[in-house]
Formats: sequence, structure tokens, C-alpha cells
Amino acid sequence: MEIRELGGKQLELDEDGFIQDPAAWDEAVAAALAKTEGVDEMSEKHWKLVNYLRNYYLQFQMAPMIRKLCKETGFKLNEVYELFPSGPAKGACKVAGLPKPTGCV
Amino acid sequence: MAESGRKYSFHVEPKALQVSDRPRKFLEAFAAVLRHGNYQLALDTYARLSTRCGRCASTCQLYATTQQDEDLPCHRSELLLRVYRRYFTRWGVMRARLFGGFTLTDEYLDQMAEASYRCTACRRCKAACPMGMDHGLVTRLARWLLAEIGLIPKALVVSVRQQLAGVGNTSGIPLPALKDTCQFLEEELQEMFGVPIPFPFDVQQAEYVFFPAVSDYLLEADTLMGNAAVMHASGASWTIGTGNYDGINYGLFYSDRMLEQIVQNVAAEVRRLRGRKVLVGECGHATRAAWYLNTFAGPDAPPVVNCLQYAHQMLTAGRLRLRDQRIEEPVAYHDPCNIARGGRITEEPREILKTICRNYVEMTPNRTENYCCGGGGGTVSIDEIRGFRTGSLGKCKADQIRASGAKIVVSPCANCKKQLREVCADNGLPDVQIVGLHDLLLKVIEVK
Repeated sequence: MEIRELGGKQLELDEDGFIQDPAAWDEAVAAALAKTEGVDEMSEKHWKLVNYLRNYYLQFQMAPMIRKLCKETGFKLNEVYELFPSGPAKGACKVAGLPKPTGCV
Repeated sequence: MAESGRKYSFHVEPKALQVSDRPRKFLEAFAAVLRHGNYQLALDTYARLSTRCGRCASTCQLYATTQQDEDLPCHRSELLLRVYRRYFTRWGVMRARLFGGFTLTDEYLDQMAEASYRCTACRRCKAACPMGMDHGLVTRLARWLLAEIGLIPKALVVSVRQQLAGVGNTSGIPLPALKDTCQFLEEELQEMFGVPIPFPFDVQQAEYVFFPAVSDYLLEADTLMGNAAVMHASGASWTIGTGNYDGINYGLFYSDRMLEQIVQNVAAEVRRLRGRKVLVGECGHATRAAWYLNTFAGPDAPPVVNCLQYAHQMLTAGRLRLRDQRIEEPVAYHDPCNIARGGRITEEPREILKTICRNYVEMTPNRTENYCCGGGGGTVSIDEIRGFRTGSLGKCKADQIRASGAKIVVSPCANCKKQLREVCADNGLPDVQIVGLHDLLLKVIEVK
């Protein structure tokens, strides 16, 4: 665990750089988290993906199934990887402020 | 070994680093396990028989790549056997009093922890040991004792906590999210086949209660749709239990205590629904863990059926109809260690694949002698060792896939699927598709 400044806030991160308090998330935090994932500039497409994940998470306390994410945002899986090189679970979900996925994910 | 900033090559919880007096606690745990379990017989035999002849070297895919002595299976087992001999045999205790010698230290425990998670407990070496030693069993016992002093990869322990004390499953999927996902899959199936194919919840007295690897609900849409289509087309009565819908059991990888609790929870859910059988989804270790129902849930424990066995049975009985379409690309089958090593499920998937694929190719060695995907024994969920997993552990598998010429590798196991995708990505095989067997069945099944 470490405390880092992200988007003007002091936030606790786990070993893999996921924020520990999902409620502390805002757009500035997302932009700062994106930089840790090698995304220097959040484009409209990045935001579309991140906002979808964020809203799904707020409703269900969980990330959506990847197939559903692709279908509802219109991105193919390889496009998700182009946007977030470490993938939907470890990259996009991290930027959207979700906790690190557990289990065989 | 461990990168800078990390004591072990895997993350541990901060509190694991604050445990004091670890050698004493380790020995206490060891004594308790010997007293209350039935490991003593195996350890006593192994401690006498082990000749460290190194014949296992020829079978270990890790040793084949690293060529390091510490990766020899019998070298790894010796780490625990040495402690056993010194502290739990009369001769060892006496010899230590007379001559001194080996003493269990903190550094020794650290070495054991590293060694225990470099092995996937695939048990391929067991067949080569002239003394019949099961090195996988010894690795697992070492992991259990280390876990009792808090020394366990964080990825494993947080998942089990989530399952036993948190949301109720290893991926932490709440029921509303599960229902939303299943509804989405029903819509996809409706689009695909034009008829409603349900994911039934809490059907009382269903013949089959379904326990997939819960991560399938996040990652494997086609596998689950294939499962539902097969159950629907064969007219089965089946259900998902809302009380417990996770077949994953990491207890199999590190602890009998956890193994038992998780298995009991499966039995309890089947009883609650008054279901008749446990249907395990595409997952190797979940299947092997469920086979322990007999051990832990008594003589009237529900029988366990793996979905591959079910699909095969229905196909041979003529209760699954296929369309004329077949899979054209070259397809190979990867045997998940936990269902194939003992020879329990090896032919059913092959017979299905030979029926639905025009170009089925075999990877060699296979069946009971298969190579592990390189992510077995829970190592696949440890992200921070990915380079080791797909390199040292996964190289043999990558070479094998390349040599087969397959474009599609079928691996009916959530664990192997994730690992093999990473193995292919990291070993220059980006065009190989890793899918489940039900993913392919979904393409050819006829549903009315």
C-alpha cells in the first residue's frame, strides 16, 4: 500500500496501483490513473469506456461482463486493448476507479 | 527472484510481513496437521524413500526451461521432508541433540515459500518417480503450512476471503450483477437462435445445480452460452443457485481447511435447492475440488458431473443435435491437469471435438502426460509473476502449441484459458485462439 497524489488528491493505492476507495474517484483522478497505465491523453473514446464502466459499477458494485462492455460501448475487444494496453480488467477498470478484480480474472 | 520493493516474487498482505517467531509457529502448524490429518503416513514414507535420484528432472517443464537445481521436483520436496525428518522423527530429533545440524530458520521459510509458488502442482513428475512420490502433494502441504503463518500470495488469500466471508464468490460478483449478466446472455442467445434459452435461477429439485468458475460470468460469454444451449437442447432440468454460484475452490491449492469449507458450501446449496447433482462448468480444479464432496459431505453427497461428461453423454445418446456446419480451422485440445492427470476426463472432449471439427490435431504429449498450461495451482491469479508464468513455466506449452499448427486451442478450464492466452501473447503466437469446448459446441448445436 502506498499513498500517492493523483488528480490533486492524496489517495491510497494497492500494490498494482488500484485506488482503495472507489468513492474518491473523479475525472481528475481518472486522468492521473490513466497516465500510470501509459495513456497520456484521455480521448473521447477513453471516456466513453471509462464512464460506462463507472456507471455500471455504481449500479452493480461490479464490472460488467467483457462481452457486454464491448456490445454496449460498440468497441471490439482489440480496440479496448488499443485504448488501454493492459486490457479491460487491469487497465480500463483501474482508470474507472474500480477495485482490483479478484479470482481467476 | 523477488523484484525490488517486494520481499517475495509475489505480493503478500502487509500483515504477513509482521508475523514474528515464524519457525516456531510453522512447526506448531506442522504438528497439528500431522496429529489431525492423515499426511503422516505419506510423509513418513516419502522421508524414508526419497533418494533424490532426479528422474523427475526429465518430466518437469519448469526444470526443462530453467535447468536450475532448485526447480527439480525432488529438490523442492526435500525442503519440507528435511523439516519433517528433523522435527518429527525420533531419529531426527535425537541426531539434532547429539550432533546439532539443521535448524528451521526464517530464511529457510522464505526459500520454501518461493519454491512452493514456482511449482504449479501439476503432478506430471509423479509418474516418473521410481519411488512413487507425489511431489504435488508435498508442495501443497508446504503451501498449507506456510499459509498458516500468513505466508501466502495475496491474490489467493483475498479471493478465498471474498468467497467465504465477503460477497460469496471469488470474483466478488453480487447477485444483481449476476442476474444482469445472465439476462444479457439470454438476449444474446435469443438473437443467435431465435428461441428463448434460459439461465434458470433457484429451480427446486433440479437434476443439475450449476457451478462454473464464477469468473466465466465476467470473461467467458460463449462458454456459458454453450453450457445453457447444451442444457436446453438436451432437455435437462438445471439451475443456478442464488446462494452459491461459484465452483472455484482455491483451497485445493493451499489448504485442506479452506477446501473443506468451500466444498461444504457447495453441498449446502445443492441441499437447499433439493437438487440431485453438481454440474461443474469448464474448470479443471473446480471439478477436482468437487470430487472431494464424497470426502467432506458424507455418503449422501451429491454426485459430481463435469459439463464435458454431460455434453458427451448427451451427444452419444443422440440427445444433442448438430447442424451441418463444422469447425474448419485446425483445432487442438489442451488437457487441464486437474481432470486429465488421473485419467478421469480425457476421451470425452476428444470424441466431441472429433465430431464437430473437420481438422482435429493432437498435441504431444497429452492426456495423463500433458504439459500444464503453466498457470496451474493458483499461480494464474498471481499477476505479478506473469513473466515467470508465461516464460519459464509456459514455454513448453507454447512450443507444443506452435508445433501442433492449431489455430484454435480448446481448453475447458477457466484457469488454463487465461494462462494460455497470456502464454500465446508473450510467446509470439498472437493469432492462436484459446476457447472453451462449449464455445465451439455453441457454433454447431441445433436448438429448437
